[in-house]
This record gives sequence, C-alpha cells and structure tokens, in this order.
Amino acid sequence: MRIAQANRMTPYLFMAPAAIIMAIALMYPLGYMMWGSLRDWDPTQTIGEAEFVGLRNYVTLWNDPNFWESLTVTLKFAFFVVTFEMVIGVGLALLLDRDIRGMSILRTLFILPMMIAPVVVGLMWRYMYHPTIGTFNRFLESIGLERVDWLGNHALMSIIIADIWQWTPFIFILALAALQSLPRSALEAARIDGATGWQQIIHIKLPLMMPVLIVTALLRLIDAFKVLEVILVMTEGGPGLSTEILALRISRTATEFRELGVAAAMSNYLLILLLLLTVAMFAFNRWQEIRAARQKMAVEEEE
Amino acid sequence: MSTVRQKQNPAFYALIAVLVFMSIGPVVLMFANSFKLDVDIISGTSGMIFLPTIRNYEQALCDVLWYEPDHLDFCSLKFGGAFINSLIIALISTVLTLVIGCMAAYALVRFRFMGRDTVSLSTLMVRMVPPAVLLVPVFGLWNNEFCIGKTTLVGGWIRDMFGGRGDVCLAGTHSGIILIYVAMNLPFVIWILQSFIVQVPRSLEEAARVDGAGPFQVFFKIVLPLIKPGLAAAAIFTFRIAWNEYLLASALSDRDTKTVPILIVNNMSEFNVEWGVIMATGMLLAIPPIIFTLLASRQIITGMTAGAVKG
Amino acid sequence: MYTFIKSTTLGLTAAALMASTAIADGHGGPYAPYADTTLIVNFPAHPHYNAVMKILPEFTKETGIEVEVDQLPYLKMRERQTLELAQDEGEYDLISYVVFSKADYVFADQLENLAKYFMNPKLSDPSYDAEDLIDGYVQNIGVAGGKKGYLPGATGSLFGIPFGSETSVLAYRKDIFEKHGIAEPTNYDQLLDAACKIPEVEPGMGGMASRAASGHQASHAFLLHLAPLGGRVFDDNWEPIINNEAGVQAANALKTIVDCGPEGAMSFGPAEAANAFANGDAAMFMDSIAFMPGFENPERSKVVGKVGYAMHPEGVRRGSQTGGFGIAIPKNAENKEAAFLLMQWLTSKKGDLMVAMEGGNPSRFSTYENAELNAKYPFSATFGEALKFADPDWRPIIPTWGKINADIGTTMSKVLTEDLDIQEALNGVAERARAVMDEAGYYTWQ
Repeated sequence: MRIAQANRMTPYLFMAPAAIIMAIALMYPLGYMMWGSLRDWDPTQTIGEAEFVGLRNYVTLWNDPNFWESLTVTLKFAFFVVTFEMVIGVGLALLLDRDIRGMSILRTLFILPMMIAPVVVGLMWRYMYHPTIGTFNRFLESIGLERVDWLGNHALMSIIIADIWQWTPFIFILALAALQSLPRSALEAARIDGATGWQQIIHIKLPLMMPVLIVTALLRLIDAFKVLEVILVMTEGGPGLSTEILALRISRTATEFRELGVAAAMSNYLLILLLLLTVAMFAFNRWQEIRAARQKMAVEEEE
Repeated sequence: MSTVRQKQNPAFYALIAVLVFMSIGPVVLMFANSFKLDVDIISGTSGMIFLPTIRNYEQALCDVLWYEPDHLDFCSLKFGGAFINSLIIALISTVLTLVIGCMAAYALVRFRFMGRDTVSLSTLMVRMVPPAVLLVPVFGLWNNEFCIGKTTLVGGWIRDMFGGRGDVCLAGTHSGIILIYVAMNLPFVIWILQSFIVQVPRSLEEAARVDGAGPFQVFFKIVLPLIKPGLAAAAIFTFRIAWNEYLLASALSDRDTKTVPILIVNNMSEFNVEWGVIMATGMLLAIPPIIFTLLASRQIITGMTAGAVKG
Repeated sequence: MYTFIKSTTLGLTAAALMASTAIADGHGGPYAPYADTTLIVNFPAHPHYNAVMKILPEFTKETGIEVEVDQLPYLKMRERQTLELAQDEGEYDLISYVVFSKADYVFADQLENLAKYFMNPKLSDPSYDAEDLIDGYVQNIGVAGGKKGYLPGATGSLFGIPFGSETSVLAYRKDIFEKHGIAEPTNYDQLLDAACKIPEVEPGMGGMASRAASGHQASHAFLLHLAPLGGRVFDDNWEPIINNEAGVQAANALKTIVDCGPEGAMSFGPAEAANAFANGDAAMFMDSIAFMPGFENPERSKVVGKVGYAMHPEGVRRGSQTGGFGIAIPKNAENKEAAFLLMQWLTSKKGDLMVAMEGGNPSRFSTYENAELNAKYPFSATFGEALKFADPDWRPIIPTWGKINADIGTTMSKVLTEDLDIQEALNGVAERARAVMDEAGYYTWQ
C-alpha cells in the first residue's frame, strides 16, 4: 500500500522543484511588479515604504511623448528586424537547400553569431561603425566614397543591420529544417507536372512550410522585444531617443531616473503589448489552419 | 533528385563564400584586433599585417597572472575574478536547470499532468517575458524581501562564515543570480526535453518496472541515458543564456560577484576607450560559446529546431 | 559606535580597535590603531583616480592600512552608491562622488559631517593646511546647506573634500591655428568662427570635438556654454529660465560646434571627443582638464607638443565649469576613522602633489605652484589661472537634478540630430522642469 501511495505522489515530487522555483522567481516577481507599478517607488525604499498612487504611473506614461517615441522605436525595430530576417533567412534556405558537401560545416559557421554574447556583438559592431577608425568607414574611404555617420543619423538602421547579422541564421536554420522535412511526394508530383522552380516555391514549398515559418516569426518577434544589450553597448539609446527601445528605457528609468514605479508600469505596458501580439499571431495561425483544413475538405469533396 | 546532382553554378559558391565571410568576418576582425596595440587600431595602417602583441590579454587578465606585466602601473581590470564568477554562475545554473527541468518534463509526459498544448502555450508565455520586465521586481525582491535578518541564527551564521555586512540578502550573491537564471531557462528546457521524452518507448520503462525498479530508478537508469542528445541541446542553450546575460546580473551583482558581461560594459568607460583591451575581453567572453558551437553544432541545431519544427 | 557593535565579528573588531587605541595612544603614530584594517573604497574610472591607483601602495606602506578599490564608470558608480548608501550597513568605507550627487546624498542624510573628524586631535593632522585647498572646489563640491541649499553660505557645512575636481579649458592645435593665421579664441564669437573656419581651410579636420551623445553628455555640453553666455537653468526663485535668450544662444553655439565638428560628432562621449582631438581629427577640444595630460602622452596621442592651452573663452562673462569628484565617508561605513585618515592623506599637500605628478588634477593651490609639476605638465599654470573664474553655479546641484539633466540631454540630442526648433525645444524643457520642481516642493514658499 505504501508503495502505491508513493507512486501516486511521484509526479508531484517530480514537478515540485520546477513549480516552486517558477513560483518564487517568476510568478511572484511578476505579481510584485504589478503591485509596485501602483506606487511612487524609489530604489532606496522597500515597497512597503513607497507611497500608493493608484494608476498615476500609467497615466504619466500615457501622456509622456518620450514613452510613445520609445514605443514607436521598439515597434519599428521589431517590424523591420523580423521582416528582413524572414525574407533573407527563408530566401537563403531556399537557395541553399541542395545536397552539397560540407553543409554541416557551413551551418556551424552560420550559427556562430547567435551563440556569442550580445554584449560582445554590440562592441564588435560599435567598432565597425566607428566614424573614423571603424571598418565600414575605412572601407568606404578607401574606395573613394563619403563616410557614413552610422551611429549618428542612421543609428536605427545600423542597429537593425547588426541584429539581422546576428539572427538571420536562426531563421535560416529553421527554414532549412522545415524544407528538408517536406513530404517528397508533393515535390515529386509537382516536378512531374512540369512546375518551374519558382512555381514549386510559391505553390508547394512556401505553403507547406507556413506553419513552421509562423512559429519562427513569432519566436523572433518575441526575441526582438528582448534585445537590449546590443543596443546598450552600441548607442546607449541615442542619439536623442532614436534607438531607445522600451527594454532599454525601462532599465534607464529604473537605474538612472530611479523611478521604479514608473519602470514597473512601463514593463506592464510592454507585457500587454507582447501578449496582444502573441495572441494575434496565434489567432492568425489557427485561422490559417482552419482555412487550410476547409480547402482540403473542399478538394476531397470534389474528388 | 536530379537537380541537385548537377554541377553547381559558380555564383552559388561565390554566394556561400560571401555568407561565410559575413558571418565570421566580424569575429575574425575582433580576434585580430585583440592582438593589436591601440595605436595600430586607431591609425589603421594595418589590416591583417601587424606585429601581434599579447599586452591586451595581459592587461585583461592581470589579476590572475603569475607575473606582473611591466607595461601596467596597476591592475584595474579584474577579469580573472569575473571569469570565475561567470563560470560558477553559468555552470551551476545549467546543472540545476537540467536536473529540475528533466524531472518536470518527465512528470508532464509520463503522468499526463497537463496537455501538451497547455505546456507549449505556457512555455511560450513565459518565454515572452523580456528580462527587462523582470528587472524592477527582481531588483526589489532580491534586495529587500528575499533576506534573512543578520540577527537570526542562519543569517548570523552566514555572516560569520562569509563576512560582509548588513542583512543577508539574495542580491549580491551567486545564488541570487543563479536562481533567476534557473527560473528564466526552465520553461524552455522543459519544452525541449518533453519532445525527447515522448520518444522514449513506454515498453522499456514498463519492463524495468516489472523487474522491480521504482519510479526514480526508472527515470535515472532508463530515461536519462536515452535523452542525452536533448540534454546536450538544453545544456548548451541554458549555458549560453547564463553566460551571456548582462542586465539582470548587473542589477543583482556586487563587486565580488560581477560577471564578465558586466565587466565589459563597465570597461567601455567614457574616459578611455581602449579598443585593444575591450576586444581582448570580448574575445575571452566569446571563446566558450565558440568552442561549444564548433563541438556540438548538431545538438544546437537539434535544440533549435525541436521546439519550432516538431512542436 | 552603534553600527560597529551590531554583529559579533564586527563587535570584536571594534573592541580590538578601541583596545589598541588605548595602548597606542601617543606611541606608534596616528595610523597605528588602524594598521591591518582593510578599507573598501569606491572610485570612478577616471584619469585622476587612475593616478590615485598608482600611489595607493605608498599609503599602505606608510600606514599599514590596506585599501581595496572598486572602480566603476562614474554614472554606474552613482547607481551603485544609491543602493549601497541606503542600506543599514554599507560596504564602502570611503566613496568618491560626482559633484551633482552631493545634493542627493546630503539630503538623504547619507554622508558623515566632517567636523567631528577635524575636531578629533587623534585623527586630524595639524599640518593639513585646509586654507590651501582650492576654495571654489571646496565650496562647490564639499560644502552643502548654504545658499539655495547647494551653494556656499553661512548655514553650510563640510561633507566632502574635493578630489579629482576639474574645470574646463580650451585645448587647440597651435600648428593649425598658426598655419591659417587664426588667433587663440578668447571670446565666443572667435571660438565659433574658428570652429567653422577650420573644416574649410583644413579639409578632413573638424573644428571642435565636443561631447554630444544623448543624455548626460549632451546636457553637459550645453551647460558648458550656458554659463559663459550669461544663462542659468533656474533664476533665484527656482523658475526655469533655460529657455531665455542666453539659453537659445548656448544651444545654437553647441549646434554650430557639432555641425562643424569632426565626423560622427553627434554620438561622441568625452572619450571619443578627446580621442578625436588626440588623433588629429579636430583642431580644438574644450572640456575638463582631466583629459589634457593625455594629449601629452605619446602612447595615446598624435598631437604631442602641438597643443596650446587657453582659458575657457568669455561670453558675456567668464564662467568655466566646476565639476569632477569629491571624496566622502558614508554614514553606514564600517571603518570611518581609518577612512578619514585615508581621505586626509590623499588630499594632504604631499598626497595631492604625488597624484598630480602621476597625471591627476590638483586640489591645492600649492600644488599648482609647484615647480616640478609645472616642468612636467607645462599647462598647469593656465589651469591655475582658469580656476579663478570657475563658476560654482554653472549647474544646479539639487535632488531633482538627475531627472531634469536627463531631459535636457535628450532634448539637446534631438536638437542636434533632428533639427528641432531650439526655442520650442527649450520651452518644453522649461515646462517639464517646472512641473518636476513643483512636485518636489520648490514653490511652497511662494
């Protein structure tokens, strides 16, 4: 009897450590943050000492043009980064989906950028973008072109390029894996029907890859909102607020302006935004699946 | 597949060459610069031809060198200490995450705790939380709430053993940073391991159980060896995050528990941009992940694709 | 004493300290009771403190007091201190603080008033000669509680000692100026003319390298011109006047300088600006004296021997910045008395000279007059002269300053990069600053 009881307890025993850690180090902090966002809270105070101000922090932010600008920068960054990386990554996967020797070595080299610390990526690019000693401007000069003020007037573009460098391989690898797991029969059939390369890509490969691509894009989108170190090292959010993404603004509000309450409220806005995006992507995914199923049914009925 | 066997277009190889150049070019550049004197980096006369020097590395590692480099007046960068902190934090959090994550994943799959969809969804939800969002609450909790008074028995004992002043709080300790890393990485690790555990044939476990093995024995003797590739992938991903993370570590560490990324950001101080030393520290931070990538790229790719493609 | 006895180990140390004080009284010198103490100090990564690092072993040798230094970039250092000083028991025995932190710390009652240490015959060195300390610095960096709360005055008292303090001077390329017949700029018109003439006559070279990066740096650069051009951030009633004519003029000056400056000037922090000058990419550099010794160091500079040093040019008045750092003892420190001894040693005539010889910024008049120092750093005399015009009120040092400073910095950076209308931008700053001041209660008595 005691053994049976022990067996019934086993799943709980197995789950307990993970559940406890997630509860105290993830869920509790998130709740604590919601609570803190309602207070006028200074880093030198404990949360109990901070004055309760209701929704004032949220209202302040809502009326703060800097917050909106930072939000715009964040959305722009995420949008461009995900779009370009998807296009380039999927494009490369389609191009390189061939049986060539040394593909595994190539893949190893391609994933190198994502494994390196964002801090290091930031400093490498900061060096390469340097107005006078940087690699790019030296190159431009040596072929007789004007120097470009990478981290000045074109800061947002420059950080987007750096992110594309680091994360396109991620999309590439996932897209390649998806391509290689496509059912051979569908491709064979298309080839027998005489479809050209482009037709195969547009009508067979891309639609079949779609579910994976959507998940990939979603993962990248979520990660794009987490980018902070690369930008911190490269521009510290400047010039002006032109590269100050929300994550960076949260950290500056907390450490530099010492307004933990406002920073917590901003964190909540960011969470809500991410939640909306995720739900939207999921809904879209589901809708696509339903549509695909319906089409399939229609095709079967015709037959 | 008839198309692939045909001879590839030279443009195709050119494309591959360009891609390889782009992806490793910056790393090679950093590597080369870390062996240059600042004067050479700034004057830019060189390119790839220069007299390599290890001065930058000497300056970075001055606190662990057995000799005193004579070009240094004092040792300002305590890179060695930070490197050890980084190692302790990354290794312990990886091991903890794996053990705890593995157990949880096993329970989820074998005992049908929650549906797979629920797990995937909640994993995604947790993965959605950016570290910056955790900054404020973690900072507040670790500094003020997760503390033991120094007059209590345990607190007094810790102060006697390890020194230091004030109440014993999680902030400023290795354990504090490890705790948040474990929590951050758990969902992802559970998610990955799940997809491997599902593939372990149930019959094997039942056979073992018939032979009289308890649930823990079954888990350790039968399941664990079979999901090694999944464990490797999960380990690398956890290590990578714990090794590379800056923001939370910078909020939680004090002068004795600084990790390497913090040191690098601090060293980009406004009064001296010493590119050579910065590149050297960057290179030292990048070396462990690079080694992992070269040794275990297959596991990394498995780990990356396991989540998205199969799930 | 109260803080000492809180925990057993510390209690023991304190008892040991008191016991040895009793024994060593009158014997073994003032440092004997504290021998083998380890002080933990928090210093910024800054040329002056790098010089200090070189002479600290000397202190340990002389006194037997060990010093462990935690060096951080100065903005990081401030964040760290905010946290540390708020604890019941802090880690740091001695801190170096940025001048604008003075208000925060003193207001929150986190620094030791130094009077009781200078009163203590066992600690206070009779040959210290406090009159020799540069008065402007002492008032600006060390004293709090006088006029407007941060300026000297009858109600003020001493909380810190200036150490690594600085003022602004103009460094320019003598060779370039002579070649094109440009005179050493003594007022702002000449300065701005020269700044924009140089890129015309010397292709590829920027006029003046200046800080401009978003945030603190852009704000600093703006304020640097605001005081000499006759402006202030607030009037005497704390009403923002940053958007008056002088403010617009200062912003225009900064914009002109950055526009005519070297490549990439918009994202320059002080190090980049100094590097640009040292690398020959700009013909002028106006910033803290802390950077100047670097230009005479052949390992880091290509312009050794070609640099002339002049006073900060005159606008409607002379007003070079006063800034940099002071050192103070936190209220929650463990070894306050030993920390005072270190503080006194570092700022003594001997210590100050040693630091200066290693390239630090002197805090004493006598150090500036020292013949040896002048031989090693020929610009020392100019700096001594410039100090007479240092303006202690070039920026307000009040607890709300951090927020207003960040706002000025962001707005200025936008003016530089996005061509915002200057008057409108400054009006915005003034309006937001007034709201901040109102909330903090600066208009209570009106």
